[in-house]
Order: sequence, then C-alpha cells, then structure tokens
Amino acid sequence: MPKIKKKRVGYALDMTPMVDVAMLLLTFFMMTTQFRPEEATAIDMPASHAPFKMPETDIMVVTINKDGRVFLGVDAQSLRAQLFGEANKLRANMEIEDRNVLHDLLIQARIANPKLRTLVKGDKEAPYGPVEDILGILRQVKITRFNLVTELEKN
Amino acid sequence: MGAVEGGGESKSHARGGKKHKKKRRLRIRIDMTPMVDVAFLLLTFFMLTTYFSKPQTMELNLPADEKAQVEVAESNLLTIRVAADGELFWNTGMDPANRIDVKELRKFLVDKNKENPKLITLLKIDRDGKYNMLIKVMDEINIAQVTRFSLAPMSEYDKRQIQKARAS
Repeated sequence: MPKIKKKRVGYALDMTPMVDVAMLLLTFFMMTTQFRPEEATAIDMPASHAPFKMPETDIMVVTINKDGRVFLGVDAQSLRAQLFGEANKLRANMEIEDRNVLHDLLIQARIANPKLRTLVKGDKEAPYGPVEDILGILRQVKITRFNLVTELEKN
Repeated sequence: MGAVEGGGESKSHARGGKKHKKKRRLRIRIDMTPMVDVAFLLLTFFMLTTYFSKPQTMELNLPADEKAQVEVAESNLLTIRVAADGELFWNTGMDPANRIDVKELRKFLVDKNKENPKLITLLKIDRDGKYNMLIKVMDEINIAQVTRFSLAPMSEYDKRQIQKARAS
C-alpha cells in the first residue's frame, strides 16, 4: 500500500507588527536614555526618606568620596570649560585638593550661572571632617540653601 | 519575517525589434531578518542601560553667617552629639549627656518638641564620624518635622561630655 504522505503545514507568521513595535520601543529607549556621566569616583549614597527628586539641569555637585577626597562638577559643558579649562570640559568631575580653590570656583560658578543649584553628594562611608569643611565653605560663599543627595530608603 | 516585495507586475511591454518580446520585472525580496536582529539587540541594550530612578535630595538651610550669635535660653537648647563610632548622646542646656539609640530618635524628637515648642536642636558630629550619621540624624529630624535646628562643630568640651556619659 502506498504511504499516504502527510502534507506539512507551512507556517507563515507575519512578524511585521511585532517588528514595528520593537522599532518603536527602540526609538523610545534611544531617545530617553542618558548615559551616566563618567564618575571620577564611585559613590555609595546614604539612604533617606527625603521626598525631593534630584534636579537635572543647572546643578553643581560637590562630591566627597569615601576617602574624604573632594570633587566638583557642573552639568553645563561651557561652564566646565570656564572653570576647569578647555582641556577638562568633558570631565564630569574634577578633584579639588585645595579648599581655597574650591572656595573660588564656587564663587565663579555662581557668578557665571546664578541659577545654579548646589548639591552635596557624599559617600556613606565618608569621614565627617571634610564634609564639615565643605559645609563651612558653602556657608562662606553664602550658599545657604543646598541639597544633600541620597537614595530613597525603602521601608 | 518582514520582507519587502516589489514589482509584482506581470504586465508586459512590447518593445519593437528586440530579442525578448516580454520583459518580466524582477521580484525584489529583501530579507529583513538581520536588520530586525540588530534592532532587537539594540533594544535590549538600551532597555538594560537606561535608568529611571533619580536620586532623592534632602534640602538643607544653614544660616549665612557663622559669626552671628543667637542667644538661646539654655532650657530651649537640645544638643545631639554624635560620637566618632556613631553613638548618639543628647542633653538639654548644660545637663549631663544621655545615650540614645538612632531608632528611638524620631519619637524622642517629636516628644521633646511637643513638650517645648520653642526647642532648638543643635547637631554636633565628631569629625572622625561618618557622613552617613549626618544623613541619618537629619532624616530623623526632617521626619519629626523639627524646623529649628542647626549644625555646629564639635568641640573638646563636647567630646569630654560624651566621655563622661560613657563612663557613667
């Protein structure tokens, strides 16, 4: 008896809508993504219940890492070029060793952009000594309102 | 998968005197699979690298001038001292210091401020302490809605007070 050949069913799945959606998503993610600026130092932020979101523009960040080293960063490239020199305009953070230099830079930055908001970003393990110095400098340059960057504590 | 097909016409054009009377249009099929593969790869990459959670910030207002002296009645002054190892001590006025746990601080601050609405909280942290302690205590102060507080450097006198409290 001749074998009855079973006819294979050929699937033809139309992938077009899925690909369309994928492309849309791809466009969305490409547009919204912002690459984290290269950090000069890794910061493990402390947690708090503070409700405010960190502003994105017109910011000046004073970073204190866990060894107590101090870095200064501003978000605008033009201001960075003005403060740290043209060669360093692509670097998000500059280490500031001299406290007097930091004092002058803070004043310059505020003159260049009076809308600048100051953020203090310290590592959880940072010693309090340098932090106290920074707060003292901020007070000296009359930045009396500033924000401490933290992570949201979950509980 | 997605493929573009073009030129499905089978209409013939008569061209006089040529070899082929009918010129069939070629059906163009472009295989889109590699492009879609790459698109998916990129999609995965962007989905994984993107981050949406922005850090929180805690607002801090400090008086502008360090030299400005404000006279405060001793009984209205609550001093919280943080030792280098993170232990907390509190006292009002010139009273001897008492130890307190961070977990009890919130309730303690709320109670103290209810007791005395004119209370001013002074926070002194040892220079060898951790920055984390500042955030922790400040957080508790914010949650307890204590608005009148200030930061002050820790003096030798404060350190002695802490030692006394530890010894007792």
